[in-house]
Amino acid sequence: MANTLTALSFNNSYDIAIIGAGPAGMSAAITASAAGARVVVLDDKPRSGGQIYRNVDASPLVKPAVLGDDYLKGSQITAAFKRSEAEHIRGVNVWHVGDNGEVLFSLEGETQRLTARQVIVATGAMERPFPIPGWHLPGVMSAGSAQVMLKSDGIVRDGAVFAGTGPLLYLIVAQYLRLGVKVKALVDTTPKKNYVRSMSEVTGALSAPAMLIKGLGLMNEIRKSGTKVYRFADSLKVMGDDAAAGVSFCVSGTSHEIVCDHVFLHQGVIPNLNMTRALGLQHHWCVQQLCWKPTTNNWGQSSQGFVSVAGDSSGIVGAESAAAMGRVCALGQLVNIGLMSEPQAVTEAANDQKFMARQQHFRRFIDCLYQPIDQHRKPVDDNTIVCRCEERTVKDLKQGFAQGGREPNQLKSQTRCGMGPCQGRMCGHTVSELLADWRNEPVDDVGYYRLRTPMRLVTLQELSRFTDVKPTVTPTAVNSEELDSCEKGSSLQEKAQ
Amino acid sequence: MTAIHKSDALVIGGGIQGSSTAYHLAQRGISVIVLEKDTVSRHASGVNAGGVRLLGRNIAEVELSKAAMKMWHQLDDELDADTGFRARSLINVAADEADLNALRSREQQMHGLGYFHEVMLDKQELRERLPHVADHCVGGVVSEQDGYAIPFHSTQAFRVAAERKGAMFCEGEQVQQIRKVGNSWLVSTVTQQYQAEHLVNCAGAWADLISVMIGDNVPMSYSAPMLMITARMPHFSTPVVGAVSRPLSFKQFENGTVLIGGGAKGFADRANNTTRLDYSLLASGAHNAIEFFPIMKTACINRMWSGLEAYMPDNLPVIGKSTRSNNAYHAFAFSAHGFQLGPVIGQVMADLICEGHSRFDLDPFKINRYERKVL
Repeated sequence: MANTLTALSFNNSYDIAIIGAGPAGMSAAITASAAGARVVVLDDKPRSGGQIYRNVDASPLVKPAVLGDDYLKGSQITAAFKRSEAEHIRGVNVWHVGDNGEVLFSLEGETQRLTARQVIVATGAMERPFPIPGWHLPGVMSAGSAQVMLKSDGIVRDGAVFAGTGPLLYLIVAQYLRLGVKVKALVDTTPKKNYVRSMSEVTGALSAPAMLIKGLGLMNEIRKSGTKVYRFADSLKVMGDDAAAGVSFCVSGTSHEIVCDHVFLHQGVIPNLNMTRALGLQHHWCVQQLCWKPTTNNWGQSSQGFVSVAGDSSGIVGAESAAAMGRVCALGQLVNIGLMSEPQAVTEAANDQKFMARQQHFRRFIDCLYQPIDQHRKPVDDNTIVCRCEERTVKDLKQGFAQGGREPNQLKSQTRCGMGPCQGRMCGHTVSELLADWRNEPVDDVGYYRLRTPMRLVTLQELSRFTDVKPTVTPTAVNSEELDSCEKGSSLQEKAQ
Repeated sequence: MTAIHKSDALVIGGGIQGSSTAYHLAQRGISVIVLEKDTVSRHASGVNAGGVRLLGRNIAEVELSKAAMKMWHQLDDELDADTGFRARSLINVAADEADLNALRSREQQMHGLGYFHEVMLDKQELRERLPHVADHCVGGVVSEQDGYAIPFHSTQAFRVAAERKGAMFCEGEQVQQIRKVGNSWLVSTVTQQYQAEHLVNCAGAWADLISVMIGDNVPMSYSAPMLMITARMPHFSTPVVGAVSRPLSFKQFENGTVLIGGGAKGFADRANNTTRLDYSLLASGAHNAIEFFPIMKTACINRMWSGLEAYMPDNLPVIGKSTRSNNAYHAFAFSAHGFQLGPVIGQVMADLICEGHSRFDLDPFKINRYERKVL
């Protein structure tokens, strides 16, 4: 039976520590623990499932079916995870993973330490920043946060405008509409040329027709509802001085303005890099997905031998491939720790590896179709904010560049861009791409921030009580009421991001 | 075949000491090239705590530190740049009677030497200057001229000013070999060759390697002093704060963030340019901060880091001429308190090169001070 640990005592050394309990982390844990490995899974949410299956077994909605079949599918994997022997430490913030296999995490305001022979990073994806004029204003949120509010608390915003591109955007709009929430408009920034370009990948897409049909179905659902849809929009801006007052954009040269208090932006997802970067793993720039990815081999093993990266944190693959990848990573690590022979791992991984290869065809089509346009990734307007924490604009960065900040870390020291609490999560990709343009060099040569511990804010008081000699363990379990409040806390945190 | 780069002087190391040396040399019309193995200000000079401190200096350093402090107060004008320097005063807090006794005997010693810049504070004076200090603190000592600067900006300011006067900075140039042929120093990096009459070693945590190439042995070690900075918090302290007998040091910047240091060391991996933090030591630093300033309990730590720094066994720097070779000079191993001295060290190096001597007593900083005369 699965051991769900909250504040209960846990061992302090494991064969495999898995960070993240989404599809990748859960399936890695199921596979590894079934083979006899001592596995611990650490996750920041009170329930397993990750972002995609958030609260799948405890939805606040009367009819969770509005969230779609893909969401409901998550209950199978969360159930299997609960049956596994893996230990699950939930509701914790992992704030440090060392290059020596040391894991430090906050559990109810106390820092705890464990060590592991192998580590699987399965921290998933985050939404791609959308650095357009006004994106920092109150009233502007990411479409993902709209979904977090919906899945966690059943909260919605009436009369909002959704703008951007990508399947998740259409899915959330559809989920809103199914609940009878009014959506003022969907402003689709997918450019015409993407439809043309993605046609060359269409044989790939057809190798996964079910998923393609699903996507078209969502768009039809939105159109049929009578929601105003603007297609091929560009020059997107959020209007307003102190708070969002509306959006403006152009469609084939004609400008439009829509008045609204709430704007949800989305232009796809990118790997959540903070942990893989803080670990100092080797990364490369992916031209197809326009994001940094940790460099891994067929088994998900990174440049640091004992660390593997699974799921969307290794590059956007989607939930089903993430689960497959979690299993493959686990098999690789089982070989590393001597619990499985290499030939057996090769045999057992074959189906998943084949599945992932097939999915990659479809992914190429999706990446091509929903590739966000340059002006929405690399802001041109001098006054557009790039770094929200330190309020640094394109103009500030240009100045820093002129003063010798040619590389992200120099630019950070020069301008404070990326020095705030989000540790560059919201500006890192923008800075890499802008510098590459300004230097006229590939993004790979420009690089990224050196990330520092802690990966989540830790209070001075919590740190002051930390000792790695003898972990302090409170012998009381957290009851479910407390978990619920904890849950609200975590969704608020997501919103704040 | 590669062309050889010739200059009057070569400086190895693009930290604050090397950049300041280049500035002072260039100002006197000496042609100078700085070789930096990474990027200017990449290590200790860019990531230190930025303390500009005269308070509590070792007696051997007081004259240098006083001269440097005078320069800091005019440095932005002199370099025509923003070093981020702020004169905020520095207070060392006394936690108990033993601390006060230590301060009293220090005061007596300083007054005896004719130094009056360190002024003792009683309990009430301490509270007036630091309203949020914990109740148990009994007094302290203040140096009014002290403060902080932004290290990366300060080092860059020297670099840019030096370049304006004709100095050349070559980044990504790691020195592989140093030879003396006749009156010339010949220095090779992976792809380039340099030649100069004078050679200055400001290589920080790598300076012992350069010393050996020059021909001076030195018992230098290196380590990774750790720092942490909080997210913005309400303004609660104008002065920079230290403690008389505890490893505690912090400053609150104008944007509200608080930088906490104190000299605790992490683990240095010099060969790979990296460090690893010791979280239990950082924990005791956090504990000290809260004990002296309870308001910091809820402060959120945003980043923790450390830089690679060089130390001597007596925690005093090496400053002066090579004892084994002519026309070679050293300025390194400042043992985590060299940032404030940066402006004056460049002047000292320029004096040694141009005049052959310095107006400061450099005997305590000789590179061969640990050589045993008799076995």
